[in-house]
Amino acid sequence: MPNVFGTPLKRREDPRLITGKGNFTDDIQLPGMLYMAVLRSPHAHARIKRIDVSAARQVPGVVAVYTGKDLEGKMGTIPTAWLVPDSDIKTPPHHALAVDQVRYVGDGIALVVAEDRYTVRDALELIDVEYEELPPVVNQEEAMKDGAPQLHEGVPNNIAFHWKAGEVPDEVFDRAEVVIRRRFYQQRLIPNPMETRAAVAQYNPSSGEMTIWCTSQNPHIHRFILSGVLGIPETKLQVVAPDVGGGFGCKIAVYPDEALVGYVARDLRRPVKWTEDRREHFTTTTHGRDMILDVELAGKRDGTLTALRIKNTANLGAYLSTAAPGVPTILFGLIAPGPYKIPKAAVEVIGVLTNTTPTDAYRGAGRPEATYQIERMIDLFADEIGMDPLEIRRKNLIREDEFPFDNALGLQYDSGNYHRALNKALEMINYDQFRKEQEEARKKGRYLGIGFSTYVEICGLGPSKVAGAVGFQGGLWESATVRVHPSGKISVFTGASPHGQGEETTFAQIVSQKLGVPVEDIEIVHGDTNRISMGWGTYGSRTTPVGGSAIAIACDRVLEKAKKIAAHALEVSESDLDFEDGAFQVQGVPGKKITFQEVTLQAYLAWNLPEGVEPSLEAQSFYDPANFVYPFGTHICILEVDGETGEVKLKKYVAVDDPGPVINPMVAEGQVHGGIVQGIGQALWEGAVYDENGQLISGTFMDYAMPKARFFPAFETAFTETPSPVNPLGVKGIGETGTIASTPAVVNAVVDALKPFGVKDLDMPLTPEKVWKAMQKGRREA
Amino acid sequence: MRIEVRHPFSTSRKVVWKFLQDEEVLRRSLPGCRKLEEVSEGVYSAELGLNVGPVKGMFTGEVKLSELREPESYRLTMSGKGKPGEIRGDARIRLEEAEEGTVLICNAEAHVTGVLASVGQRVMGSVAKLILSQFFKAVEKEIRHSTPK
Repeated sequence: MPNVFGTPLKRREDPRLITGKGNFTDDIQLPGMLYMAVLRSPHAHARIKRIDVSAARQVPGVVAVYTGKDLEGKMGTIPTAWLVPDSDIKTPPHHALAVDQVRYVGDGIALVVAEDRYTVRDALELIDVEYEELPPVVNQEEAMKDGAPQLHEGVPNNIAFHWKAGEVPDEVFDRAEVVIRRRFYQQRLIPNPMETRAAVAQYNPSSGEMTIWCTSQNPHIHRFILSGVLGIPETKLQVVAPDVGGGFGCKIAVYPDEALVGYVARDLRRPVKWTEDRREHFTTTTHGRDMILDVELAGKRDGTLTALRIKNTANLGAYLSTAAPGVPTILFGLIAPGPYKIPKAAVEVIGVLTNTTPTDAYRGAGRPEATYQIERMIDLFADEIGMDPLEIRRKNLIREDEFPFDNALGLQYDSGNYHRALNKALEMINYDQFRKEQEEARKKGRYLGIGFSTYVEICGLGPSKVAGAVGFQGGLWESATVRVHPSGKISVFTGASPHGQGEETTFAQIVSQKLGVPVEDIEIVHGDTNRISMGWGTYGSRTTPVGGSAIAIACDRVLEKAKKIAAHALEVSESDLDFEDGAFQVQGVPGKKITFQEVTLQAYLAWNLPEGVEPSLEAQSFYDPANFVYPFGTHICILEVDGETGEVKLKKYVAVDDPGPVINPMVAEGQVHGGIVQGIGQALWEGAVYDENGQLISGTFMDYAMPKARFFPAFETAFTETPSPVNPLGVKGIGETGTIASTPAVVNAVVDALKPFGVKDLDMPLTPEKVWKAMQKGRREA
Repeated sequence: MRIEVRHPFSTSRKVVWKFLQDEEVLRRSLPGCRKLEEVSEGVYSAELGLNVGPVKGMFTGEVKLSELREPESYRLTMSGKGKPGEIRGDARIRLEEAEEGTVLICNAEAHVTGVLASVGQRVMGSVAKLILSQFFKAVEKEIRHSTPK
């Protein structure tokens, strides 16, 4: 059996996905199924004075119409699942349909259920709503001011929470040789998976059982929450995430819509489907980022860094989404010092509610923001003291012999060799040569730039004890069941719920490596609460380090039992056996062996099992990691800014990532590519824009720039592999590194290119207009 | 969103003014006008069927003329509601004497919601200009047809 761990196997899930044979929520057709659509508020802030649904009810084919008032008291409100401790957090009620007030454009007001999806849309337009418009507030700093419009009762100044970690006295900054102060705006982004959200519900009135199929990254969390919202015990509620066409964080949250579908299916006793259209997606599915970061970095003239202090004013939108409070606090704050030895750090976060779409996790969730500020600050600091951006990194990066490293905010970085990753990336470019070319080009009026990002991130969420301590209302362990069938084929049930990341392939590689069974004989089962004991889902790059480790441990348990049966069959002691090439081999007696498949059959026949060994061959693991894992690496971007148009042309992009041992380099590289693209999307093109009335004016792909393949050069990627001591596989995460690392690499490169114009910083996205204006300003002032 | 539209007329301010205030003329000249009824002094209830780009469908609402300073200027406020969203507009209309006759200058501020905002905002400015120009052209035609050459 060749080594499958580390092999670039093609993704087993792809043939079905790329030949149109995927089974997505919207593909589900059930007899007698009805269609639901939700009427959404066109106003950012208004009182509902009157809703007239009579015309909609009369449309032939319409089965029912519900308003918020109809549902009041009949179903629970939609809760947040992250109660950040010691933050005085307020959790205003989020009704599935607004009862008397709407708080953002897209807030649900009423729903229509009809026999087909055309009728339902037509009828929706006939609902007449009279609003009393209220003044809206869009910006988080405006929302905090006295006299600003108030969104919810009991949330004064719209401040949902105020969280602090660490402390740095003023005098540290007062006495510092160098202090850099800078404000960064992490613009609002709109996650756009290819598949929009959808849900189908079916209720069985005789048994009281309900099945909800939905676009979820974490079906067990959906079951947990929906069970409470709908009042259906978990024993009777099944949540299934079939094929899910990407999530990037926006399918973590439990939304009103899934709950509504369940409610209506039970009320009408007919299956109901709801599918979001793209325009609806832009305004109702959670957005990402939108944080104002005020950062202070202190240090010495020799480049030593001494203290970091950050105030993060985060825009949470109109209601607290499922994981929203955790993103700007725990996931952003604790990793803010990044990969550098900064002895003191403090982070303060104010979470603010505004009349905008709720924000929540978006690929990287907190770590892109953390990495962005520290990577930009390092460059600004270097510029201030006249040091090379590479030198200041080399000087401050944590050294290999300093791991495990305790950062100033209490995290323990598990393992790392940051300089090795940096050096490997530098081998892929010629830095000295580039600086010469840059100099020459500038003389000719061409503006080249180079940007570094020597990031570290925190993922593999995470130890459940820590999850509890930071206020996450769930565990973060993962379950795995490895069931070897009598024929020797294997079903693996994982509680992590992959939705496009390739684990149907990489998890099979783990099992194949452990049990010597070909990948083709291993089936990865996920996304169904009735088939899988429990699970916490896929986010925070946790699936392989936590879910994969659970599988590895369950495999070890299978092997342990199999070995007992093998020893019994061969009439030797267990210690005389080696497991290799899929068989138990008696040491020193070539040919005396029993294959794993033969052992399996014996386990099921149970004709002759050793004393005390039960039949069958199946094992389970509920694995709770001891710590997070900390992938790291170096990304380098080389680009050119057009001096006439301000357009940024990416010329070369190098990514060296260290996710620990790589199970499948092709899948890992795919994750890196996608991540880089999304990260650069934030740097150069993407941005959600609201007008002052709270209308989303970037609500289509014509107005919201999604990156396209032709925008990019071929990426040059490589891995270093520093095992983590945290889990049995030694693996870290790779799903978010690209998004975390690439954004500051690109912005650093643009700012480097614009150095002749005296540009120190620019707010993202770096559109040609913005860059051109900065150049013009520089030209005027020169 | 701010819009400015200028339109020349080849007659005097007085004539232009008279036509712009004439309910019958308005009914015939407003693009897609299905209904225009004065409900109180200077306040009209209106129905417009529009079809320009994203602005498609029936809009029902209210048009109000106020701050009338004959023949120089007046204010026109409107609010309308249709399937693609809601529109609120506030326009100052000035008539200036010019060599050829009169120049009408319309400065409007408009707010839109719904699809009009999320999809249409980028093109709303030009759509509004187009609709206003159609209106002024129609008024001009009315004037030409009624005055002896």
